[in-house]
Amino acid sequence: MKAAIRHLMRSRGRTILTLLAVLIPVYSIVFMFGFSSANLSDMFETATRVDTGHFQIRHETVRGLGSAIPLMRDPEAALAALGGVEGIEWKTVRLDLPALASVGDRSRTVYVQGVIPEEIGAISAIGDLVVEGTYLASGQDGVVIGAELADLLNVAVGDELVLLGAHPEAGLGVLKAPVLGIYDAPIAELGRTVVHTTLEMARRLARAPNAATAIVGRVAGVTGPWNANRIDTVVAAVAGRLPEGLEVLGWQELAPQVAGFMRLMEPMLWVFAGVFFALGALVVLNTLYLSVMERTRELGLVISLGATRWRVMRMVLLEAALIAVAGAVYGALGGVAVIGIIEAFGGIPLWGSVLDFMKAVGMDPVLHLRASASQVLLAAAAMAGIAVLAAWLPAYRAAKLEPVEAMRHVE
Amino acid sequence: MSSSALIRTTALWKTYVTEAVETPALRGVDLELHEREFTAVAGPSGSGKSTLLHLLGGLDRPTSGEIYLEGTVMSGLSKDELARLRLTQIGFVFQAYNLIPVLTVLENAAFVLELQGVAKSERIARARRILGELGIAAYADQFPSRISGGEQQRVAVARAVVSEPSIVLADEPTANLDTATSLELIDLMRRLNERKGATFLFATHDGRLLDRVSRLVTLVDGRVASDEVRDPE
Repeated sequence: MKAAIRHLMRSRGRTILTLLAVLIPVYSIVFMFGFSSANLSDMFETATRVDTGHFQIRHETVRGLGSAIPLMRDPEAALAALGGVEGIEWKTVRLDLPALASVGDRSRTVYVQGVIPEEIGAISAIGDLVVEGTYLASGQDGVVIGAELADLLNVAVGDELVLLGAHPEAGLGVLKAPVLGIYDAPIAELGRTVVHTTLEMARRLARAPNAATAIVGRVAGVTGPWNANRIDTVVAAVAGRLPEGLEVLGWQELAPQVAGFMRLMEPMLWVFAGVFFALGALVVLNTLYLSVMERTRELGLVISLGATRWRVMRMVLLEAALIAVAGAVYGALGGVAVIGIIEAFGGIPLWGSVLDFMKAVGMDPVLHLRASASQVLLAAAAMAGIAVLAAWLPAYRAAKLEPVEAMRHVE
Repeated sequence: MSSSALIRTTALWKTYVTEAVETPALRGVDLELHEREFTAVAGPSGSGKSTLLHLLGGLDRPTSGEIYLEGTVMSGLSKDELARLRLTQIGFVFQAYNLIPVLTVLENAAFVLELQGVAKSERIARARRILGELGIAAYADQFPSRISGGEQQRVAVARAVVSEPSIVLADEPTANLDTATSLELIDLMRRLNERKGATFLFATHDGRLLDRVSRLVTLVDGRVASDEVRDPE
């Protein structure tokens, strides 16, 4: 060990280069994972906290309804089916129906979501996003709309909105409703289209007193996409208990674009990580190969004195392992430190068109970084392991040296 | 084979082949070396001295013929078995000192013991003892680059004898030393031969050293030209 450290110190330039070949990939991968984890998590939260919930029970798809969700005439039966299923944190009844929102000569197609205000808070974050006025309260007629829709219709809190409900199964219904609050949507499209009102008011608009379109639920212990498999477990349990004609949809079916993007991101991240690992491994291989070439005489001497091939390999691999572990540790610490510093300052705020784009696709306009301990450890261990594997070839070459030829080697 | 032969070679040939050119370095060498001998192999450059030492030390393999080391047929050994044989039974002193630059004098002297797996405290004690016997204990913590050529070669001798091998092979050990240092080194090796009973075989073409050997084998063109027992000064 002491000799290996002295060897590394003797060739400082090469040692630093090899160290960097391990350190930079680990640092970059930790940073990349930190960036992607935070943003995937943000997308997942946006999709499930604002709109879809973790799962929904709906009536099975009926053809010819367009974008409307089929009505459930007896949502209590669906709620009863959830009794006894472990892992459900919150559940509530919701009635979603397409509508036309009008003020004066302006109108927009919207999606009215009739909710139970006391229950929806645990499932939808819209109540927390209200920036003007107040959120809904049971028994109070009114709507909460997105800032984008408020701009399009040129309305403010207190103005009256005309809603023309148009569910294919319920026919037309018309209501006047005051704007109680305006929310700042994380996705611009949501802000333009989603209007929250109370369940009673939505039922009046749909002219269907007991109707609902979904039981929206949230699963306990789900903190991000990395443990979203808990949702699948609950969905499978619920599916077996539902009355005929109902179905349960998981978050991936409810937010297919987000799920698809996340499915695409994961292999891409590993491809990028693989490129970093491969480049690091090539540099390690090259520098150690040069080191073995330079030390041919010395290695020949060691073999002459009686070192076995495995012993010689171990000498080279030990040096590689020392550099690999040091590089991986420093790389991981560097990555974690940079993430910590950036997060201590509240992330990296975006600006201009990037900001608009991020908001349009439902991502936080402030870049946040978040790397889990397992990701950091995995990146560091994988790079260290790959570096030692890359050292195998020069180590093998060292072990195969013929002692007499090696000792005649001229540097 | 006579009963006391430590090493015996029979019809030993070594031919180097480079791009279809065959160069015989040894041509049928028959030789016996006995315990406690202090033998020099002399001869002009290209006579095969170094080649003979490399073959006897298991660093290279003969083209034909056999080498027996304490009854073991060396040609039948694998690379790792040869390495173990070198480690346990043969000590080497090379022309160019060949110390490991990143190890101190003490660590260099103890290196073979480390390869043998001897416990650290024991190998340090044994290495210190041999460095003391060779008069270089004061340099124990120095690195090789900080001491003279003669001192470096003493460290190489210490490394060769510290594990008390069956034989020490020294290839032109004085080639890079001045006359006085060369004679000192040979006297040192001679004393180790007498006190510890270590068997030495060294290759040299330095006529000044030959008075100190008990046996002189002369090689000419890869053959044993003469083999005489001498009375050293």
